Amino acid sequence: MAVEVYRHDVIVVGGGAAGLRAAIAAVEADPKVSVAMVSKVYPMRSHTVSAEGGAAAYVPGSEDSLEKHLYDTVKGSDFLADQDCAEYFVEQATAELTRLEHWGCPWSRNEDGSVATRPFGGMTVPRTWYAADKVGFHMLHALFQHSMRFDRIVRYDENFVTRLLVDDGACRGVVAIDIRSGAMRLFLGRAVILATGGAGKCFPFTTNGTIKTGDGMALAYRAGVGLKDMEFLQYHPTGLPGTGILITEASRGEGGYVINAKGERFLTEEHVKATGNDYGVGKKAELGPRDMISRAEILEIEAGRGLKGPYGEYVLLDLRHLGEAKIMAKLPFVRELAKTYIGVDPVHEPIPIRPVVHYMMGGVDTDIRGATPMPGLYAAGETACVSMNGANRLGSNSLTECLVFGARAGVESVAFSKSSADGNEARLRGEAETEGARIDTLRGRKKGGEKMSVIRHEMQLTMERGCGVYRKQDSMNQAVAEIAPLKGRYADLVLEDTSKVFNTEVLQALELGNMLDVAETIAIAAAARRESRGAHACRDYPTRNDAEFLHHSMMFFTPAGPRLEKKAVTITRFQPEERKY
Amino acid sequence: MANDGSGEMKTRTFVVTRFDPDKDQVPKTQSYQVSCRPEWKVLDALNFIKDEIDPTLSHRWSCRMAVCGSCGMNVNGAPKLTCKTSLSEYGDTVEVAPLANFPVIRDLVIEMDGFMEKFKAVKPWIIVAKEKAVDEGTNRQSPAQLAEFKQFSMCINCMLCYAACPVVAKEPDFLGPAAIALGHRYNMDSRDEGAAQRNEIFRGEGTVFSCSYANECSEVCPKNVDPAAAVNQAKLNSVIDWATSFVVKREK
Amino acid sequence: MARPSDPHAMTPRKPGSTRTAPPTVPDDFWTRPRMLTYLLFDATGIVYLLVGLVALRVAWALGSGRAAWDALMQSFASPGYLIFHAIALVSALFVGVRFFRLFPKAQPAHIGPAKPPPPAVLQAMLYVAWIGITIVLLAVLGGVWP
Repeated sequence: MAVEVYRHDVIVVGGGAAGLRAAIAAVEADPKVSVAMVSKVYPMRSHTVSAEGGAAAYVPGSEDSLEKHLYDTVKGSDFLADQDCAEYFVEQATAELTRLEHWGCPWSRNEDGSVATRPFGGMTVPRTWYAADKVGFHMLHALFQHSMRFDRIVRYDENFVTRLLVDDGACRGVVAIDIRSGAMRLFLGRAVILATGGAGKCFPFTTNGTIKTGDGMALAYRAGVGLKDMEFLQYHPTGLPGTGILITEASRGEGGYVINAKGERFLTEEHVKATGNDYGVGKKAELGPRDMISRAEILEIEAGRGLKGPYGEYVLLDLRHLGEAKIMAKLPFVRELAKTYIGVDPVHEPIPIRPVVHYMMGGVDTDIRGATPMPGLYAAGETACVSMNGANRLGSNSLTECLVFGARAGVESVAFSKSSADGNEARLRGEAETEGARIDTLRGRKKGGEKMSVIRHEMQLTMERGCGVYRKQDSMNQAVAEIAPLKGRYADLVLEDTSKVFNTEVLQALELGNMLDVAETIAIAAAARRESRGAHACRDYPTRNDAEFLHHSMMFFTPAGPRLEKKAVTITRFQPEERKY
Repeated sequence: MANDGSGEMKTRTFVVTRFDPDKDQVPKTQSYQVSCRPEWKVLDALNFIKDEIDPTLSHRWSCRMAVCGSCGMNVNGAPKLTCKTSLSEYGDTVEVAPLANFPVIRDLVIEMDGFMEKFKAVKPWIIVAKEKAVDEGTNRQSPAQLAEFKQFSMCINCMLCYAACPVVAKEPDFLGPAAIALGHRYNMDSRDEGAAQRNEIFRGEGTVFSCSYANECSEVCPKNVDPAAAVNQAKLNSVIDWATSFVVKREK
Repeated sequence: MARPSDPHAMTPRKPGSTRTAPPTVPDDFWTRPRMLTYLLFDATGIVYLLVGLVALRVAWALGSGRAAWDALMQSFASPGYLIFHAIALVSALFVGVRFFRLFPKAQPAHIGPAKPPPPAVLQAMLYVAWIGITIVLLAVLGGVWP
């Protein structure tokens, strides 16, 4: 089948908050630039849409300051964040959220018409802008609708990128499947921006939707770009058992309590005094950082103070004392979710919750400009690891991160495209045709002994056992040992659907391949980090070890297997100190 | 708690529409027997069919929490968000078909670009004469002003309203409930100055006046957007706008 | 199984890259209770058309002298006209009730500084006005008032 060729200046892969912001920034930077937005789903389906709580930025005239936001972020990261990048982030945050307000985002308001803020985990001052409890939905729709003004953003909806094209050391384009027709498409450009989100679906219980399969991370990894800090996975403390559906941190920001089976608020200072169980959150109680609260919940469950359910053990989130009026004003979506998906009305009953995989701090290695070490390749949003979140991200920083670094990557990619050259089209076309042949062979490949759902399920269980909230050295080592044979079995997959038109089976197979690559890097990086820092909590090494492990981990693809390296952390303003709240 | 898994498993027959344009002249149905968990939604059963019984079934879904809008289908003849619809509402047989009123690409996957065209046609973005600079800060908007359009901003673009609307079934040019509701959302946003442009679009080819208030769109909307309210408010507003355009000179 | 919608329903201007099956509605799309109610609601338009023609007939008789008028009034007592007027009354009640139910949400958020009253109040106002005007008309036409 012939390859269809499309030519643009900048190619954005992924249509969520970061991708849309990058595309808008690119066309605004230069009126002549043409941007391709290639997404495997229509942009309004991107997983940004499910974010609930809010987006953080300094509010001018408030008691907040850029320095406080920076300090909170760096401390929250357990001092693994690159502080120059975090500083750039806090400096740009207000402008980005303001811009979005101008573009129609319906931020919730104070009586005087100014933008309202709410308290959030790990933030010393309330600086989280919000839109009821559907901030991701409103931000995504505002961005998408605003992007429709620009004819020079050409969308290729439901196109699945399978390979990055590298020529002469630089990224010159991508190959994608047109999901609808099954045709292979070659997108030629001077710069590529990866904004495909994280990879929560490597795990069985996650807030993430089915599309979060680490596609961009795997693409960059296979092209030789390093994946940074992959061992750091954020477990969100309040996900629904079973489905993993997110119950926003804002429910704690508005005053919700986290309680155990005995009805005790085990995160408060009073409880610490009474029982001696100190989870490190100090005065912040339920508004402590996510890693600490997730660990507290697991410890309570292990101590026998959890409740048992068909999907494992859980604790409770109690919103009853907030009252129906406040819940309907500030947390209406939370009420709807609890009623629909777990049959509980939070006005009358506490909500069952447990930690679930939510966000990946790690990702494609980028710098403050959103650039990877490969010329012409950029990344932004959850796909990227700048790193501004280090070992643990504060809630409501990531939506702002998508805007700040999406915009930066967009601007930088345009600047780069002016000085770079096109790739060798004939050679790239040949690569695309080879890729097309590979996909054709995979599609409907009836011979094979392994079933996709079995491999996917086993991968998820392996990752849950080895890379949970608490990790043990031997279980991490076991996870590493289990992934390689899973990849071997993946090569023997049987596929039934021979159709070219909207074949979602072959897409799932490609996504599973991406997830296996990403899962492998997570397991190896986790097993190598013999300390506890941020979200990586190792029972065999329970303390932070700055002397030996104050560095980023870097995973590189080699034909012989993944290679682990170190990368230094940029420390400018705040020397690492004990992380106590 | 209701979803504590304590209910009974139930075997149901799923009659699912299948269509592969390379193999089938017209859509047909295929039946699957599925042992369903008590807390399952329709989507869980479809995913089970794809994972365990028939991997050739194609359907769209993503968030599974009723916010991305991907999984709209016709279930037993009614447009539903399959991730939000409990199987406990149904008996032994569940018919799952692609969303009504849309061309079908494959199995349960419908053609969305017709909707995207109508969506873009209403200019769903803030239109102002002079763009505000970032360092001027945010616009002031009171909670009361926000409340005037908030409800209409909740649309997840699931298109169930198009599947329910009798006018969409008969008049291809009609803009349709979600597109009009979105245009109306911007008209009602105190920060927007583009109502005149949108009202002209509302009186144009896709005219809002094709709506005869069946109210089906609002009945099926999973997010309580009430598009019927938006469309009918838009009718009045576009008439007032038309009348005042003779009195007040305005720029195009 | 399914009935066809308009063949171009929700079809994009630019054709897609693969052949699609034409848009359809379910077999019972037009016969489900809510849809039947809506179709009936729209169908009462025919009743009003006929009522309008009858009104023209009355106006004609008014201008044609006493004899014509008396003859027409006589004919209104016939079973055919009685049934017709009963149908017209039921239609008006049906449409009125449905329309009043849907009326509040069609109100604009505000006209100038004025906001519409809450839905229940608005509906009550409509019913009061409807019943009130009916009583006044009956009184006037029946010679009772003024």
